[in-house]
Amino acid sequence: MRHTKIRYCFALIAVIMTAMAFTQAVWAKADVTSTDELSEATFAVQTGTTCGTDAETHFPNAQIDYYNTLTDILTVMRTGKADATVCDIGVLRFLQIDNKDIVTVGDIIEEIKLAPAFPKTAKGQALCDEYSEFVRQLWDDGTMKELDDAWFGDDESKRQVIDYENLPDTNGTLTMAVDASIVPFAYVKDNRIVGYDVDVVARFCKAKGYRLEISNMSFDSILAAVQTGKCDFASCAITVTEERAESMLFGEPVFTSGNIVAVIDHSINPDGTPNTGENQSDEDTSIWGSIRSSFEKTFIRDDRWKMFVMGVVNTLIITLLSALLGTLLGYLVFMMCRKGNRAANGITRIVMFLVQGMPMVVLLMVLYYIVFGQLKISGLAVAVIGFTLTFGSSVYSLLGVGVGAVDKGQYEAAYMLGYSDRRIFYKIILPQALPHIVPSFKGEVISLIKATSIVGYIAVQDLTKIGDLIRSRTYEAFFPLIAVTVIYFLLEGILRFGIGRIELNVDSKRRKTRKLLKGVKTDD
Amino acid sequence: MIKIEHMKKEYSNATPLKDVSAVINDGDVISIIGPSGTGKSTLMRCISQLEKPTAGKVFIDDVEITDPKNNIDQIRLKMGMVFQSFNLFGHLTVIENIMMAPVDLLKQPKQEAYNNAMRLLRMVGLAGKADNYPDELSGGQKQRIAIARTLAMDPDIIFLDEPTSALDPTMVGEVQSVIRDLAETGKTMMIVTHEMAFARSICNRVFYMDEGGIYEDGTPDQIFEHPLKDKTRQFVQRLKVLELKAGTKEYDFRSVVSEIEQYCRRNQVDIRLTYYIQLAYEELVQQLLISRLNTQVDVIIEYSTVEKRAVVTAKWNGPKFDIDSISDEPSFIMINGISDNISYEHKESDEQANQIVIEMSQK
Repeated sequence: MRHTKIRYCFALIAVIMTAMAFTQAVWAKADVTSTDELSEATFAVQTGTTCGTDAETHFPNAQIDYYNTLTDILTVMRTGKADATVCDIGVLRFLQIDNKDIVTVGDIIEEIKLAPAFPKTAKGQALCDEYSEFVRQLWDDGTMKELDDAWFGDDESKRQVIDYENLPDTNGTLTMAVDASIVPFAYVKDNRIVGYDVDVVARFCKAKGYRLEISNMSFDSILAAVQTGKCDFASCAITVTEERAESMLFGEPVFTSGNIVAVIDHSINPDGTPNTGENQSDEDTSIWGSIRSSFEKTFIRDDRWKMFVMGVVNTLIITLLSALLGTLLGYLVFMMCRKGNRAANGITRIVMFLVQGMPMVVLLMVLYYIVFGQLKISGLAVAVIGFTLTFGSSVYSLLGVGVGAVDKGQYEAAYMLGYSDRRIFYKIILPQALPHIVPSFKGEVISLIKATSIVGYIAVQDLTKIGDLIRSRTYEAFFPLIAVTVIYFLLEGILRFGIGRIELNVDSKRRKTRKLLKGVKTDD
Repeated sequence: MIKIEHMKKEYSNATPLKDVSAVINDGDVISIIGPSGTGKSTLMRCISQLEKPTAGKVFIDDVEITDPKNNIDQIRLKMGMVFQSFNLFGHLTVIENIMMAPVDLLKQPKQEAYNNAMRLLRMVGLAGKADNYPDELSGGQKQRIAIARTLAMDPDIIFLDEPTSALDPTMVGEVQSVIRDLAETGKTMMIVTHEMAFARSICNRVFYMDEGGIYEDGTPDQIFEHPLKDKTRQFVQRLKVLELKAGTKEYDFRSVVSEIEQYCRRNQVDIRLTYYIQLAYEELVQQLLISRLNTQVDVIIEYSTVEKRAVVTAKWNGPKFDIDSISDEPSFIMINGISDNISYEHKESDEQANQIVIEMSQK
């Protein structure tokens, strides 16, 4: 009786799934020739760009999903989760070099200008004027046309930026914010940030005697960085809009562009060969082969493993420093609050409320753009400060729980032997509290290393951010992600092992040294 | 010598000590007894400053230890306390528990501290457990270790706060025998306990605590044999008391009788004695007194759980009562038959001048 029921269930599920696969296949094979056909389609657009607004105005009945990178957008379109995208024509042209299956539909929706953005300050205005003057010259002497050909042409060797890292700081240093995942305006190649915008800026800095520092962050953060004056300016395919012009200054546009609708043509493969529905490529198409090729693209090409090393180092610096300083902070605060000092407890409660209640991303952004907004302080330092605060509050709570778990009688017995309060804490309470604390502490450290994956928001190139950057270059959705995950697992394993050693040492029954009995001649 | 002057301890919901003054001489072994919640433990904890008295002073050898200027940690080196819940340090072995404080605080060389600790362990009969952890020991063993730990500091004053209350009955003996030895060493000791026979046998002085202070202070013989005050007597004989009022406007004979029955059942009074108590009340109070006197009669029924005896006392106000006028009544003859003794007393000085006492026992 039960078996038949289960069998019916399976049959039903199978029918539904077949139907779903069938409908999807039908849709995927349909050729889109006009934007009218897409009025009720699903659009995938990039967060923080004007594409979303354009899609909403032109396709009011469509569903619009937001993604962080073009890689993600390509992936969802190829897998059929989205039907179309709205994308900048310049970006799209470059994308088509490696991805022949993405095709445009219709004309440019609305012409737009891409220009660098400057803070709305006197200093920003001066720089903006100087820069605009320089760009107008480039337009006049035809340099901009050459740049256009170089960066959007098929010739890879022409896509070169001068050695901007070592410009002399005759007139000072300029910090530029970019999102180095917007190909070809700003992206990472051979472990340096290059691109159309970077090219223009490098020429400007060389001509005007500025040293250039580039700060790589996510596109959302760039606009915040400009508004708060965290950088001197930003340039990476930033669209000029009236709304944005209210909060920042735009210089002379460096590129005229427009958003256009694009879809995937399922009849061809990304490399341009016709899609026969089979694995038609003459390359090694076995699973093993595709893994090897992904590995090559992700780690070997352009020495990308060096970027991973940098990412791991940054992630470890943030995790270990925050864990160390956070433990110290939590401990010190706990010691101050332990005797019930009202002021200390009050302040601690407020700070804990703020730090623990705020989403970590918000906390980091607040620290980076508001609290330390006026200071020249690296994202890495801000990340360490932010995570020290959260980790410190966790350690404070852990200590409270652990120490609270020790029976009150232990204090009383020690007092009656004549111990002072301070000595009781170190000799009797803490040793008994630690075995309660360390297992949770281990969990906190592991959570911490995972939590650090959001520091990309404040221009820190940690492991996750590196994974995103490489994804934006290889247009591979999963391999870099999985590679990053595996590296996280390894790091977590090492941390677990390290703290496990501490755990053994705080277990009173397994400790090896008996300080009190050292050198004592015992009866047995 | 410990001198306590007008010590008061107040909590937000109770005041266990209202005004306590006492002098404890060197070498005194004091048993502190009394019903629960009368501040026995609080008294010791306030003397040792584990709890700050709300008011009052405590002197030890003329040093005022309640004065914050005096370092209490130093003063506590001369005190020791044995707790109801042992409070051995769970992260240390038995030998470390005993050695730690002498090494840390008295700066004893480790070897000396070790030898001393082993001597004490042998004294309490647990030398074989030196390397065990407290959670591997039974309650009685833990308490003996706790006593050894206290002794390792060689204190002048030892407080024992219900040292056997948390123990299995089978382990009480082993701990009591260690304490008995301790009491003979001449150290000043204060022990809170509910074991009356034990308390009596080891001490030279008893504090009976009640009504927010030391209610009666005396030798064990005085307190246990001839207590001067009512509550002390009721406590040491473990008297269960029922107070009734007869002859008032609200007086309801039937409900009083049922109250007596409940009281007897609650205190596990023998059925026959219950019947006697009820009979004595009915015949004496209801038949003989109320009908004649036309006044309020206070009745106190006491039952000693130790001696299995009951005493019914009736008191009332007014002129001297002629006991002979009722001695021929059948009710009186009936009472006489069931009681061991009937007495009448008239004291002009008392508020309730007349008092008849009927003593009965479980035959």
